[in-house]
Amino acid sequence: MAFQYYFLNPIITFLLGAREVGFIFYKTLMTCLKGPHRVREVIGYMYTIGVGSLPIITISTAFAGFVVTSELAHQMDTALHTVEMLPGFSGQFIFRELGIVIPALLLVSKVGAATTAEVGSMKVTEQIDALRLLQIDPIEYLVYPRFVASLIVITCLTLISIFVTLVVAIAVAVLKYNFAVLEYTNALTHFVTNRDLICALVKGMVFGAVVPIISCYYGFNCSGGAEGVGNATTNSVVTSTIIVIILDFVLTFGFSLVL
Amino acid sequence: MKVLTNFFHQVGGMFLFSREVKRTWLRTFGSNAPLVIEQIGSVGIRSISTVCFAGFFVGAILVIQLQLMLAQYDASAMLGGLNTSACIREVGPLIISFLLAGKVGAYTTAELGTMRVTEQIDAIRCLGTNPIQYLVVPRYVAIVVSSLLLLVFGLLVGLFGSMIVANWLYNINPLQYLQSVPRFCGGWTVFCGVAKSAVYGTIVASVSTYKGYNASGGAKGVGVAVTECAVYTNLLIVFANTFMSILLDGMHEIFTMVVG
Repeated sequence: MAFQYYFLNPIITFLLGAREVGFIFYKTLMTCLKGPHRVREVIGYMYTIGVGSLPIITISTAFAGFVVTSELAHQMDTALHTVEMLPGFSGQFIFRELGIVIPALLLVSKVGAATTAEVGSMKVTEQIDALRLLQIDPIEYLVYPRFVASLIVITCLTLISIFVTLVVAIAVAVLKYNFAVLEYTNALTHFVTNRDLICALVKGMVFGAVVPIISCYYGFNCSGGAEGVGNATTNSVVTSTIIVIILDFVLTFGFSLVL
Repeated sequence: MKVLTNFFHQVGGMFLFSREVKRTWLRTFGSNAPLVIEQIGSVGIRSISTVCFAGFFVGAILVIQLQLMLAQYDASAMLGGLNTSACIREVGPLIISFLLAGKVGAYTTAELGTMRVTEQIDAIRCLGTNPIQYLVVPRYVAIVVSSLLLLVFGLLVGLFGSMIVANWLYNINPLQYLQSVPRFCGGWTVFCGVAKSAVYGTIVASVSTYKGYNASGGAKGVGVAVTECAVYTNLLIVFANTFMSILLDGMHEIFTMVVG
């Protein structure tokens, strides 16, 4: 009995959820394959997601770049008693990890929570049932534009945040550790390759695809009025955060074999 | 401009609110200890599994990234120390507290916000009870205490996770891994990590109780409050990260000057 309660039930719940997430993903992809349609709506979502998140992404990644550069310099100082390798190290760390994960986690809580709250309140006010009644597929109608918009926008935001972090890192290196700007960029061209950029783009795209699917899944499955929407939002943010971290691990490991 | 003023308005309101919470807590110290303990238990048990999960994977990611970089310099011997130091001082508290912002913060905001918009908070006031004392203080104290404990536990799990992953993927013996740790991490590193965790926990507590307590506009308002809570918490944590790093560096310099 205890075995079933603590061990079997969570696994069954997880598998059922995964099946439904897979179904939503499949349906959305099929809709995407129909070619571009409802472009105006997609652009509207791109505007809301992108422009709405741009200030917070820029500011927070700038701060993160500052901290990580000084932190790496500190560690290099303790380990090697020199900060000579700061450009290569911090550039690689920003391109491979920092410039991608921090914006992804921020976007999970901004975009993901907003999407779940929106879709969830549509669900509890029975608007989704109304859509079904009108012979409109809710997955096609609600998920597709958000999916395409966030796929494009989160990839772009990843690039922007890498750029911002890098600029701040260069500023810190120049002002605090007396590097020349050219010295830093030379080291960057030496240590950071096109492969790093491609990996960053792939990671950004994967996170951009995961966030709307998970948050729409939680939105579709919420029940129990306003409280249910709150619970669904919390669950959606937590699950997306964990899935982003796990996918980051898997992708990092995969790329570490290729690089 | 409007965004900026709104941001400062919110942060100011949050500070005033948390000051009031602290005053109420000190004035009525110990009067609702059972409630606080109950909240600590529920917050801790609700989040411990996710925190362990996140901690493990943060350690694992850091191991892969640092090993990639260190292998270029043939410096894999330093992996353990560098990884432990980065995990404790910087990346671990940041990412785990992002998770706590979603898990604990959003839950508390949704709970308090629902109470607010369904006028339960007004009802409590009508009955002559101070809602801040009865509802907010236990949650605030519980979040501060239990997120500190959770973050420290998550960091420990992260360290074991990175050790396991280093052994599994790169055949680095755990003993060899641990050998370079003392070179990088002293008591000061641990203090940095714990201090940062305490500050992040306080941020989660302040933002989530403020946003939930001041929610308005029905069910939709609660949704807005939950989203804003997550965003503000993450943003403030990133800010606090920078300021704490500068502050702790300065303290360390003064400390070494005084001692050495």
